[in-house]
Amino acid sequence: MKTNKKKVVSSMMAVALFGSVVAGCSGGGGGSEAPKAGEQPKGEEKKEERVLKMMSGVIGGKTPEENTLFEKEIERLTGIKATLNKPASDYDQKLLAAISSGEKFDLLQISKEKMNLFISQGILTDLTSQVKGSKTLQDPEVLPSGEWDQVKTKDGKIYGVFTKFQGGTMPIVRADWLKKLNLPEPKTLDDYYKVLKAFTEQDPDGNGKKDTYGLSTAGSYELQGFFSAAGLKQRYVEKDGKLDVPYATDAAIPVYEWLNKLYKEGILDPNFATNDTGKMRNLFLTDRVGMITYWDAWVGMLNNTRKQQDPNTAFEAKGLPGVAGPNGNYMLRRGDPDVWVIPVNAEHPKTAFEFIEWWHSKDGIILGSLGIKDQDYKMNGDKYELTQAGKDHAQDHGVPFWYNKKVPAPFGLLPGVKEAQDLVMKYASLELTPPKWADAEKIINEYMFKAIMGEMPAADAVHKMRDTLKAQKLID
Amino acid sequence: MKAVWKFKSLYIMMLPIMAYFLIFSYYPLVRGFMISFQEFRLIGNRPFVGFDNYLAVLRDSSFWDTLQNTLIIGGGTLVVGFVMPIVLALSLNEVFSTWFKKVTQMIVYLPHLFSWVVVGGMWILMLSPDTGIVNQILKLAGAAKPIGFMSSSDYIRWVMVLTAVWKEMGFTCILYLAAIVSINPSLYEAARIDGANRWQQVKYVTLPSLVSTMKVVIMLNVLSILRMFDQIFVMRNGAVANKVDVIMMYTYQKGILEFKIGTATAAGFLVIFATLIITFVTRAIIRYDEG
Repeated sequence: MKTNKKKVVSSMMAVALFGSVVAGCSGGGGGSEAPKAGEQPKGEEKKEERVLKMMSGVIGGKTPEENTLFEKEIERLTGIKATLNKPASDYDQKLLAAISSGEKFDLLQISKEKMNLFISQGILTDLTSQVKGSKTLQDPEVLPSGEWDQVKTKDGKIYGVFTKFQGGTMPIVRADWLKKLNLPEPKTLDDYYKVLKAFTEQDPDGNGKKDTYGLSTAGSYELQGFFSAAGLKQRYVEKDGKLDVPYATDAAIPVYEWLNKLYKEGILDPNFATNDTGKMRNLFLTDRVGMITYWDAWVGMLNNTRKQQDPNTAFEAKGLPGVAGPNGNYMLRRGDPDVWVIPVNAEHPKTAFEFIEWWHSKDGIILGSLGIKDQDYKMNGDKYELTQAGKDHAQDHGVPFWYNKKVPAPFGLLPGVKEAQDLVMKYASLELTPPKWADAEKIINEYMFKAIMGEMPAADAVHKMRDTLKAQKLID
Repeated sequence: MKAVWKFKSLYIMMLPIMAYFLIFSYYPLVRGFMISFQEFRLIGNRPFVGFDNYLAVLRDSSFWDTLQNTLIIGGGTLVVGFVMPIVLALSLNEVFSTWFKKVTQMIVYLPHLFSWVVVGGMWILMLSPDTGIVNQILKLAGAAKPIGFMSSSDYIRWVMVLTAVWKEMGFTCILYLAAIVSINPSLYEAARIDGANRWQQVKYVTLPSLVSTMKVVIMLNVLSILRMFDQIFVMRNGAVANKVDVIMMYTYQKGILEFKIGTATAAGFLVIFATLIITFVTRAIIRYDEG
């Protein structure tokens, strides 16, 4: 009996060990070795089946049912049989789980930050020659030539193509409050202080109570428009091959002192550190705050929301360029673009690229914005008419704005958006976000908040911020 | 083997359970362990790199910062979270009005049923400097200016500890109340005959009878120290992240935000090893196996 027991135990151990070895040797990722980045997958010479498997975070229908209609609409318009995986939430986690478990996709919609990461892992197809050879994508009316710099790698390669026009952020002011209090649009930090103070103290909403704030933000989310006064770019800059954080330099001290003055005098919303963007927007929409720092697209959405509630409202949100720096230039933040990328193990890369080109055509743009014909909109002759579902979906199925100048917005732009977008195109630039940004961000935020909330003199906070970043080798 | 054959129907019934654990627990664990020794790529081969991922984690100063935060917040929660439910259970046990006792018990138990998204959001609101009820009360009590509890590095760890204790206090209290009910009434009777007052009855009868429950509560709490995540994820903000980010936030950052799966898995296994060590040490200290 004892011998039998031993046999059973040793057999079980052997099975367990074998399992571990098999698991360890399988290598994951579907088991097969992926081709190197830039290599065209084998079998390209053969005629490819016009089938597409995609995964996206925002592009697609608003519900699972509408997603199925979205797939059918792609097939109707392009003849490509598409399968779209659009998770309702936690896109990055699901993307990670799907790809690493070996699932193969022909197209992925990701942010530029993720694209850089995927490039570093060598898992994206180099699209440089295809993009350069594409009549559609090389047309500056479809995609402005200068915009390609946003997605090019240091050695000039292109791995991702824009899915939409990505705007930028800026201070957004209650222009109706400016008019009501007879204040000019602010230009300098002093002007901004006067306006924000008036918003706090002069009862701009006219309810007889001192219940308004001049400025609100969501954490240190978007203060670029104010740091522009000192000519400082958010996140990192690279100079002579060295990485530096401008917000951690002495030049930033006066801006922190200015923000501290706002906080101390109750002009800056005291909850700014714990606000999320939703709370910040609500404060603006409910007449509690006169200025927020947010995306250009929201200028229109804020105006539209109030207009829908009350057609006679005086509410007017307006984008501002922030404060001009010492050299007279404004400095705003451009959002990282979202891109289509083709993984190296894609089974239908030609069809995927065909789809990318189509996405920038009129049909592609209408699908990404208005949505699905007879579901989100109907055609009355050659005029578009939104259905109730279409109205609810706010003309956004992943592409609220696009580059293609040949395709005008069927219903025009929401009030204030055009002007805000012009500011972005004129003054905004991308940020430099190196891989260790998450660690640096914590340190920058900690001392930034200490300086703004007066827990530390601004100069001390900046020096401590810089010393800590240096000690942790997060700046050169 | 004869015994196995004799009870074969029972062994067959065990098979689905064994399969469940093998497929959903042990297989992922083994895979994860392998990944922690690999240079992880989402697609393609993943070369073995030995202990590089573990060394990367151990050399990363933010890992040690998060470990320190974990030990401070987790340790605080462990201590306060151990004492408060006992105090609450003993206090409730002294209440004679049954309806008051039941209502209080239900009220203190309720937060356990809600997710941290609800509880965290509620506390952020209650601790807000301008409209939060806590600052309103402090104002009435004569406080000169409101306190930014959620954005101040002086307060935030206390906020995390106390809200965690507040959420789970009612649940743990029920365990103690159940244990108190099962204490033999003759012990109290004997104590009363010996002239013990209420406090002495608590000290010499109730508390010693709760020791085994206390051990279970300590073990459960110790096991969860290093796994803190939801609360921190919901309640942290940029101003205090450096003071409250715990080890699971570190693995989340490395794995999900930075897609460095090898590093995240290595950090995850360090947490598992550390939990094992802490658990064994705690078992030895509290003499868990001795009744």
